[in-house]
Amino acid sequence: MSAYILRRLVQALVVLFFITAVCFLLTHYSSDPMAQYANKQGMTEADRQAIRLRLGLDQPLPVQYVSWLTLAFQGNLGNSFFSHQPVLLLISQRLPMTLVLMITSEILIIAVSLVLGIISAVKQYSLTDNIITSFSFIGFSMPIFFIALGLMQVLAVQFKEWGWPYLPTGGDVWDFGDPLALAWHMVLPVTCLIIITVAGYSRFLRSSILEVLGLDYIRTARAKGLEERAVLFKHALRNAALPLITIIGLDIPALLGGALVTESIFAWPGMGRLFWEYAQKGDFPVVNGTLLLTSSAVVFFTIIVDVAYTLIDPRIRLN
Amino acid sequence: MKRITYVLVSVILLASFGLASCAPTAAPAAATAAATTAPTAAPAKPLTIALSQEPDQLNPMFSSMSYTGWLSQMVLVGLGRWDDKNNLVPELATDIPSTSNGGVSADGLTITWHLRPNLKWSDGEPLTSTDVKFTWQVENDKGNAVYTRAGYDKISSIDTPDATTAVLHFSSLYPGWQTIFSQGPNNQGALLPEHLLKGKTGLEKDPFIHQPTIASGPYVVKEWVAGDHITMVANPNYWQGAAKLAQINFKIVPNPETALAALKTGDVDMVPDFSESDIKTLSDLETSTNGKIHLRVDAGPEFEHYLFNLGTTASTVKDASGKVIGNSDQNGPCALQDVNVRKALIMGIDRQTIVDTLLAGKTTVPANLWPNSYWTNTSMKAYPYDPDQAKKLLDTAGYTAGSDGIRHGMCGGQDVKLSFNFETTDKQLRKDMAVAVKDMLLKIGVEFKPNHLPSGTFFGSYTDGGDMATGKYDIAGYTTGFYPDPWNDNFLCSTIPTKDSPGGSNYYHVCDPKLEDMFTQANASADPAVRKKVFDAIQQYQYDNALFIPMYVRANVYGYNDRFVFPPTSVISGWSWDTFNWSVKQ
Repeated sequence: MSAYILRRLVQALVVLFFITAVCFLLTHYSSDPMAQYANKQGMTEADRQAIRLRLGLDQPLPVQYVSWLTLAFQGNLGNSFFSHQPVLLLISQRLPMTLVLMITSEILIIAVSLVLGIISAVKQYSLTDNIITSFSFIGFSMPIFFIALGLMQVLAVQFKEWGWPYLPTGGDVWDFGDPLALAWHMVLPVTCLIIITVAGYSRFLRSSILEVLGLDYIRTARAKGLEERAVLFKHALRNAALPLITIIGLDIPALLGGALVTESIFAWPGMGRLFWEYAQKGDFPVVNGTLLLTSSAVVFFTIIVDVAYTLIDPRIRLN
Repeated sequence: MKRITYVLVSVILLASFGLASCAPTAAPAAATAAATTAPTAAPAKPLTIALSQEPDQLNPMFSSMSYTGWLSQMVLVGLGRWDDKNNLVPELATDIPSTSNGGVSADGLTITWHLRPNLKWSDGEPLTSTDVKFTWQVENDKGNAVYTRAGYDKISSIDTPDATTAVLHFSSLYPGWQTIFSQGPNNQGALLPEHLLKGKTGLEKDPFIHQPTIASGPYVVKEWVAGDHITMVANPNYWQGAAKLAQINFKIVPNPETALAALKTGDVDMVPDFSESDIKTLSDLETSTNGKIHLRVDAGPEFEHYLFNLGTTASTVKDASGKVIGNSDQNGPCALQDVNVRKALIMGIDRQTIVDTLLAGKTTVPANLWPNSYWTNTSMKAYPYDPDQAKKLLDTAGYTAGSDGIRHGMCGGQDVKLSFNFETTDKQLRKDMAVAVKDMLLKIGVEFKPNHLPSGTFFGSYTDGGDMATGKYDIAGYTTGFYPDPWNDNFLCSTIPTKDSPGGSNYYHVCDPKLEDMFTQANASADPAVRKKVFDAIQQYQYDNALFIPMYVRANVYGYNDRFVFPPTSVISGWSWDTFNWSVKQ
């Protein structure tokens, strides 16, 4: 097992090297930080040249990349080109709010998906199954900005107009440290994230359970007189959940990246917005810093998921 | 199942609250003194302004961002500022130097500023002429990453004979002297406190530069929660006293629909940065809410213009030493070298209809590059929409319609078609406008092929292959504006971006000796009246030679509720130029 983990870690480093190199190139060719100063009145050619030199943009791309990578290995992700603040500080300012939103959403998504997936599978082709399936697909197929703005219009704007208690738009100034305010401000964004994600998880679980329920060992369990509940939860669900764990494992690192649209619409100061706001300006250090964080998380969570498989499913051996 | 439910709920709550405890906390509260002594007559609910972007920092010296300019002029002010009539008026100074009051020497090389007596920073420390001198030293310290040193690098020394007098000695004439030490967006003239920053270098990384802990303006930053909001409280030591509003919040709301919803619910009181495409929505909202929500559209200092690629690799222009100058690395379309073709393109576009339909008629079609300011040549009228005259001009230029309806003719010994690539950014309004222009130009036999790019690519530097810098366009469209000082180097032969000179800003790729001479003359005097005559002539020359198409005056679009008493804005300094006098209805 330890040899396997070591081998995977070495592979991960190679993968990360390629990911960061590709990200560096993509960021470089998608936006030029000097564009900020292109049409700025009062600036001279000498000013622009001084900025290019200071940011190291006069250096060949491989040199720029190696300089960045060398510092990154030392735990220094550099400073933003524009705000001049350390990238690690910028990330540390946004990460907690992203995690609050995304972890809460993920837990609720899993909980709701489990309930809906199991009901759908057990009551296959029933009215309940059809209703769940229909609403799942409606949620799944609607763009999140539509759901988010629609819910905001009804639950915030219209409710306020009708004199009812209304949810916040996110445009207000509130105290993050106040748990009640936090919960209140999370209602709309979390609901949106649940609506768009739960369909995929629950449908996956439904088909997985149905597949498992048709296997011989389930027939054996039923034949030996076990209650249907025990068959479902103790025997079927454990195997049926395996594919779901893979998906969740891959989704967990995405939590660090935040949810750009949801964060933007509900003015939630998270990682998604940090990435997008700085990517638009071509601020390489911030963009690459956040990408390094999320790609590292993807690579390492994949290893963790693979290892976790062996714990859940004794049939799998990593050797 | 019950136990699982309890566990789940507990985990969610613990995770949320646990993480919330490490959520971004406000940066150190700087304004304790100010906050505690703020006026007591303040309204219970602070005024909240929604901004679609967060400022990089709150010091205009180190950031070229408009949002930094708007907010920093509330905190760190200069000796002068631009008012709602677009005049430079005294801020920390007693008056604006001029030849008549002895503030400007006869040769224009010595400028004397007098500061108001007994000025104080918000921490109670005196604000004196030594802060003026210190600010100049910071600007010129190569260890500080200021974004421009223009003007400050022309000062050879500053004398401070007493606490309220700063005498600036220039090594060479700098006609734009009014823009240095004066604060406003597009300008970086805020004074810095010597008593806090003396002896430091690499100031761009200093926390004070990101978030000033003290202020010279009407407000002090109380807290800044990254990505979320900035709270400012009145500075009791401001030279005019404490502002009417005790507190103003700035909430970062990136999505305009959310800002609109927040305006409706009263979560925010004012949104200063709606886009021009929101005009109709806001206008409808004003009607449907019976005036509870207001729309205001003010002319800004910039304008949207289409420019022609006038680059040539065979320039015949020579400098004083006889050396050929003004070569671009590329040739623009041959047909566009003909002034008749350029005029025809201007007259073939119905700009007023574009303004009326796409901008709800809330702005105007300008005739030149300097709209809405002292420097505007007001004698000029925008070219009219006249497709018949446009056709005649194209006939005169020798371009006749081909079988496909597109005109073609001989140019530079070759048969060329009047088919032009149009490059601009991917903003929706620009897309809509390009569609309209395409149809209009087709009617006079000109093919117009729009291509929309991200602004980071469009405005990319020469070395990164940016379209404007390298001249990868026939006709292009973007916004520009020459303010606060009217002089600019965008039309000089020496600033055409080339391999040897990649940082140039002459995106027109034009080199015209007459224009060059006039821009030189414009910088030969420190007297605004003398310069004004030269700039009038420049505008007339550019107009007569149809060097570009001014499309419309860019509008600043504001939405605000009935609670906020919104005073006039300044064309040059924007909506936040006079927050000292802001108030709300009780």
